[in-house]
Amino acid sequence: MRALELSRAVVAPPPPAVDGTDRTRIRHRLVEGVTREVERLPGGEHLVITLPMFRRALARPDLVLGPGDPFAWQPKFVRRSLGLAVVEACAEGRFRSPAEAARPIAGEAVEEWGRTGWKALYWEPWFAGLEPAARAVVLAEAVSWATALWTSFDWDLLGDRLRLGGPDDQWVIPGPRTVRLKGRRELQVPTVPPGADGSRPEPGPLALVSVSAGTPTPTWSEELAFLAVVALRSDSRALPARVAGLWPDAGTHRIVEIDQPALERTVDRLLAVVATLVDARVSGLAAR
Amino acid sequence: MPVMEIDRAPEETGASPGSVHSHSSSRALSSGPVIGRGSGSHGWQPLAGDALLQRLRVTGRPRPAADPELAARIRDTMEQELAADLASTAAGVTAARPPMLVVTKDRLTRVLACERHQVVSEFGEREPTAALACGAIIDALFRQLVTVGSIGDPMADGLAALRLDDRQRELATWIDRLDGGRRDELQAEVERQIRGLRNRWPDLSPGWLPRTQETMRVGLVGGAVELAARVDLALGGPSVDEASVALVEIKAGARRVEHRAELHFYALLETLRSLTPPFVVATYYTRTGELDTDPVTAELLAAAARRTLTGARSLLGLAAGHEPRPTPNGLCGVCAALPDCGVGRVRIERIEAAGRHRLDGHRSWDDESDGAPHR
Repeated sequence: MRALELSRAVVAPPPPAVDGTDRTRIRHRLVEGVTREVERLPGGEHLVITLPMFRRALARPDLVLGPGDPFAWQPKFVRRSLGLAVVEACAEGRFRSPAEAARPIAGEAVEEWGRTGWKALYWEPWFAGLEPAARAVVLAEAVSWATALWTSFDWDLLGDRLRLGGPDDQWVIPGPRTVRLKGRRELQVPTVPPGADGSRPEPGPLALVSVSAGTPTPTWSEELAFLAVVALRSDSRALPARVAGLWPDAGTHRIVEIDQPALERTVDRLLAVVATLVDARVSGLAAR
Repeated sequence: MPVMEIDRAPEETGASPGSVHSHSSSRALSSGPVIGRGSGSHGWQPLAGDALLQRLRVTGRPRPAADPELAARIRDTMEQELAADLASTAAGVTAARPPMLVVTKDRLTRVLACERHQVVSEFGEREPTAALACGAIIDALFRQLVTVGSIGDPMADGLAALRLDDRQRELATWIDRLDGGRRDELQAEVERQIRGLRNRWPDLSPGWLPRTQETMRVGLVGGAVELAARVDLALGGPSVDEASVALVEIKAGARRVEHRAELHFYALLETLRSLTPPFVVATYYTRTGELDTDPVTAELLAAAARRTLTGARSLLGLAAGHEPRPTPNGLCGVCAALPDCGVGRVRIERIEAAGRHRLDGHRSWDDESDGAPHR
């Protein structure tokens, strides 16, 4: 029931598009505000802001500069990309469920890497070097993640023009101190344009779907709209119609329609986050 | 029917289906938290294969209908009571934004047993034990069995899985450093339990959407309180008209009274997050092959909500700086506060004086064999 309702809400006709003049103004406001904030950083410094970082900076600004551990592969870094490949295979009808698909899909990825040397999913060499029991942990993580996404939607209703995963959307705000906004979404689904008769109309603007752990925060709306703000980088680039957020742990979802007020609120939050990150970076540099 | 502790595992029998056994045939020991099974069950054999699966799927009660209003009522009641509790405890809190209270099954069990025990457990390091190690390895191997359908060398596979989990890596190192005898003993127990698991645990159809270590979180009162759990196995897709989800917890130790309350906590969380209860919650004991099942009813959920509220209220009070109240209970023997705890020492002395063979805190495979790091 919920899958049907959520799917309908995601592909529903889009809200009125954001006026071009408003869009340009909002983009200028963001660029000017960001540029002003990062001037406090030494030349050559740069910031990268992802959705998890945006969320963390809003919820716990005191934790944004915690020393990061050196990168090491972990199952949780694989579950999303393997999980997306698994869901894609299920949506194509190759497998009945994620539990059936995970092992062969991972095997295919490793085999392809072995044959061509091309790491389509990045983790193939790491996964291939694991003991069988450790591989099972990775597969189990991916199955749980993928099952949550798989059961959240009526895939027939989403249509066959959807895209799972794909490269992160990025906007590099140029300057002596660059700020890179990275928008990662799990699904891009065309909306149904108003008045479509169902025969196979031209798709409407995209709806994005983002999957997160935990429970929605009080700032969920701006967090989701952050993914749309990344698309502000060029006037020629279509803004998403809406962004849906799934929190499978909590069994809940939220949807924000991308209109002018949503963008304005999100830019306000983003400027505050940039200020927080710059403060933290300046403090960190001073402490060295 | 007299009750006895389970002091030995049933004989290995292969995959032959056993007799039906459920929680209704056992009851709590009046003087301790370990539950035994009836002595009249000579010849009892654990369920296996299809019989085990059938026991899980058919509870003897109709499956609950999808009832979002029931979930909403429970949530509203909990929200109202917790909001009142938060308001009354906030008076003594000076922080501008008090931290979120996370309520887990372990915290609930501890604080309801004894507030002082909860406080010392929360801030002390959990010292590894052989029982904890056994539980963690069995959890990992169960996950492997469900996911890929096979287990190689149990000890090697279990350790490989633990080393990959940043929450369990220290435990894996601790196991690696065990001296030969203790490690052999641990290995023997792991292998014995896995032999039983391989023989008895049924194949699960991928179409039942099996997922392991499923996280459940429910935010209440605007996120001020979060109920959190991670269940070993969830089966079944989202409910449409009636409940379709089964939740299974794996235990490598002996049955304890609190295990059922923990299952009910899972049922509550699943109901609040999915708006439909699971149709069954179950504990599978790998040590003995017992399966305890509880069909989920509105009464069960109401009781779970009441217990959770009581525990959350205590946890809120402790977070606000209230003095923890000591309560003698079955955990006194393993409590770090025991040396300074009058009521706890009185309880232990009384038990020792009574010449109980089995003391609180006796470390065996029965104790703390839930290997979960954070629940």
